[in-house]
Amino acid sequence: MVSQVLSTVLTVVAGIAAALAVYWVLNKLAESLPGGWESRIKPYFYVAPAVAAIGVYLVYPTVVTIIDSLKSSDSSRFVGLDNFGKLLGQPAFRQTLLNSLLWIAVVPAACIVVGLLVAALADRLAPRAEKAAKTIIFMPMAISAVGSATVWRFMYATQPAGTPQTGLLNGIVTALGHDPIPWLQQSTLHSNSLLLMVMLLWGQAGFSMVLLSAAIKGVPTETLEAARLDGAGEMLIFRRVILPQIRGTLITVFVTVLITVMKIFDVIYVTTNGAFNTNVVGLEFFNQLYTNYNYGYASAIVVMLLIAIVPIMIYQIRHFRAEESA
Amino acid sequence: MPTRKLVLGVSALSALTLLATGCSSGSGSSASGTKTITIWSSMDQPIIDGLKAKLNPQAKAQGITVQWRKVDNINQLIVQKVQANDTPDIALLPQPGIIKDLAAKGKITALDDVLDLTALGTSMTAGTLDVAKLNGKTYGLMVSMNVKGLVFYPKKAFEAAGYTAPTTLDELNTLTAKIKSDGNTPWCLGIESGTATGWPATDWFENLVLKYGGIDKYNEWISHKTKFDSALVRQAAAEFEKIAFTDGNVLGGRKAIASNAFGTAGNAMFNSKPGCYMYQQGSFITGFFPKTVQKDLDSQVGVFGLPPATAGGDNPVEGGGDTASIYKDSPAARKVMKLLAATDLGTTAAANGSSFISPHKDFPLSTYPLKTTQSIAKVAYDASGFAFDASDAMPTAVGSGTFWKDMTAWIAGQESLDAALKNIDASWPAS
Repeated sequence: MVSQVLSTVLTVVAGIAAALAVYWVLNKLAESLPGGWESRIKPYFYVAPAVAAIGVYLVYPTVVTIIDSLKSSDSSRFVGLDNFGKLLGQPAFRQTLLNSLLWIAVVPAACIVVGLLVAALADRLAPRAEKAAKTIIFMPMAISAVGSATVWRFMYATQPAGTPQTGLLNGIVTALGHDPIPWLQQSTLHSNSLLLMVMLLWGQAGFSMVLLSAAIKGVPTETLEAARLDGAGEMLIFRRVILPQIRGTLITVFVTVLITVMKIFDVIYVTTNGAFNTNVVGLEFFNQLYTNYNYGYASAIVVMLLIAIVPIMIYQIRHFRAEESA
Repeated sequence: MPTRKLVLGVSALSALTLLATGCSSGSGSSASGTKTITIWSSMDQPIIDGLKAKLNPQAKAQGITVQWRKVDNINQLIVQKVQANDTPDIALLPQPGIIKDLAAKGKITALDDVLDLTALGTSMTAGTLDVAKLNGKTYGLMVSMNVKGLVFYPKKAFEAAGYTAPTTLDELNTLTAKIKSDGNTPWCLGIESGTATGWPATDWFENLVLKYGGIDKYNEWISHKTKFDSALVRQAAAEFEKIAFTDGNVLGGRKAIASNAFGTAGNAMFNSKPGCYMYQQGSFITGFFPKTVQKDLDSQVGVFGLPPATAGGDNPVEGGGDTASIYKDSPAARKVMKLLAATDLGTTAAANGSSFISPHKDFPLSTYPLKTTQSIAKVAYDASGFAFDASDAMPTAVGSGTFWKDMTAWIAGQESLDAALKNIDASWPAS
C-alpha cells in the first residue's frame, strides 16, 4: 500500500518534471535557431506535444476501433461490413437504436424547458427564496448518475400485491386501493424508458438552469424596460426579448445535454440493464464488450455512435466560432 | 534566471525518480523474503474468512503471504484485468464459461501438472472437476460449491398442514394443487437481481431440463447440440409455465415475478400466516432469509431437492461454485493452488456458520453445524451426478445475455415462448 502510494506520487512528479524538461529542451532548441526562424518555429514546438498527445490518446484509438469494427468477434480476421449488417438485422438492436433516438428526442428538449422554466420563475423571487429554489434544483447535480439511479429505484420499486410496498409510486397506488404496478416493466409505448429519462432529467436540469439563469440575468434591463414602456406583456417580453438574447446559451446547453444523452449508460445499467426493452446504444456496447466479448459488434456500435456524434460536434464548433467572432 | 534553475533541478530529480521507480516496481515482493499471492473472489465474506483462517497459516509455513480480496462483479472485472494484463495471481470465478473463454485465449494456466487430478477425482463430487475443462485439460478447481434446485419451505406450517416432500415432478404438481385448494399460495417466485435479472428463471429451467433429460442431454443442450427450440426445453418450459403462470400459484401473480427480488422473494414464507409454502433456490439463499429465521434455521426451515421426473429414477443435481484458476503462473501460486485442493480446507468455513459447502464428498458432514446445511450437502453428495449451472457454462453471449433477458421478457409477458427460444438460439455465437 505505502509503496503503491509512493510510486504513484513519484510517477506524477516524474511525469510533470519530464514534461517541463521536454518544453525546456524544445525552447532551447528554438533559441539556438538563427534569426527569424526562432519566432517562426517556436509556436509549433509548443503545440506539437499537445497534438501528439491527442494523436496517441484520441486519433489512434479511433482508427483502431474503426478497423476492429470490420473484424470478427475476436478481431482475428476481417469480415467487412458484416458486423453492421448483422447488428442492424437484429430486431433487438433496432429497438435499442429506437430507444436511443427517443432519449435524444426527449431529454435535451425537456432539460431546456425545465431549466428555462425554473430560471425564469426563480428570477422573479426574492433573492433568498431564489437562492433556496436554485440550490434544491441544483443539488442532484452533485450526485453521480449511478447514485441517483439507485435512489430512483425506490421510486419505481414493486413488491407483490399484499406485501408492504417499498416504492413511493406503488405506495401511492396501493394506498388508493389498486394492485401495485411493475413500473419499469411497462414497455407499451416505451413508457418505462420515459420513466428512466425522468431520472436523468432530475440530474441534468440543475446544470441547464444555472447556465440559463446566468444568461437571463445578463439580458440588459434597458431592453426589458423599453419593451415594458411599449406595453408588451411579460409572456411577449420573454418570447421576443429574452429568448433571442440567450439563444447562444440555449444552443450550448442543448448540445451539451445531447452529447451526455448519446453516451447514456449508467442510469439504465443500474436499473434494468436493458431488460424490458429499455436498452440503449451505450449499454449495448458495454454488454457486447464485457459480457459477450464480441469486439467486432462493440466496435461497430461505437463507430455508429461516432458517425452520429460528428455532425453535432461540427455544428457546435461552428456555433462556438460564430459566438466568438460576434 | 531562477526559473531555468528550477526546471533544471526538477528534471534532474525526475530522471532519478524514474530510475528509482523503475527499479522498485516488479521486484518489490521478493525483496522482503516472503512471496505474496493475491486471490480475488466474490464469495461471501464469512466464507472467505473461514478459508483464509485455514489457508493462510499453511501458506505462511511455506513462506507465502496470501492476500485475499473480495471484489464485486468479478466476471466482468477479470476480463477487463486480463485485457489490461493486470491480473491477480489466483481468482475464483463463479462462471466456468469465462474460464474456458480465457483458457482458449491462453490466459490461464492448466492445472494438470499442478494438482493430482486422479486423487481429486475420487475425493470430489462427480463432475465438479470437469466444469472448467477444455480440450482435455483442467483449468479450474472448484473450492466452494452451492447446490441449486432446492425447495425451501416453512417447516412448522408445512408440517402442520400435513404436506410432505414429493418424490416425482408429478407429485410436486399435485402438492402445488393441494396447497392452492387449501386456500394458500403454493409458491414464492422472484427473478429480479439488478443487472443480472433473469438468472433465477434460468435456474428453474436448467433444473427441469436436467431432471427430464439427464446429464448427457443437459450437456448436449449446453453445447447447443440440443437447441433451445427443442422438445426437451419445451417440456421444461411447460412444467415451469404450469407452476408459475397458473393463477393463484405464485404470490403476487405472474406480473410480480420479474420485479420481485430473488433474495427477498422467499421471505413471505416466514410471515405468521405464510405468504407461500415453497421457494425454489440455491443453497446460498438461507443467507438472505430474515435474521430471526437465520438464527433458528433448523426448526424454521425445511428443504428438499427438486424431485426426479420418475420415481426412483436418475436424479442428478444442479449446482454452481467458485472455481479457482491461476492467472499469473509462479511456483508460489502453484503451491497455494495445492493448498486450495485439500479436503479439509473448508472445515473452518463450514464450522463458522457460513453458507459454505465443500465440493469434496469425503468432507465430514458433521462439520456443518446446521442440520439444514447437512441435508443440502447430502442432496449433492448422494446425487447420481453433478451438473454445473448451464447458463454459467454456456457462451456468455447466451448464458449471461439472451438466456437471462429473453426468459425475463417471456415471464413478464412481453415475448412469446416461441420468440424467446428462437432469439436465444439465434444469439449463439458462431464458433
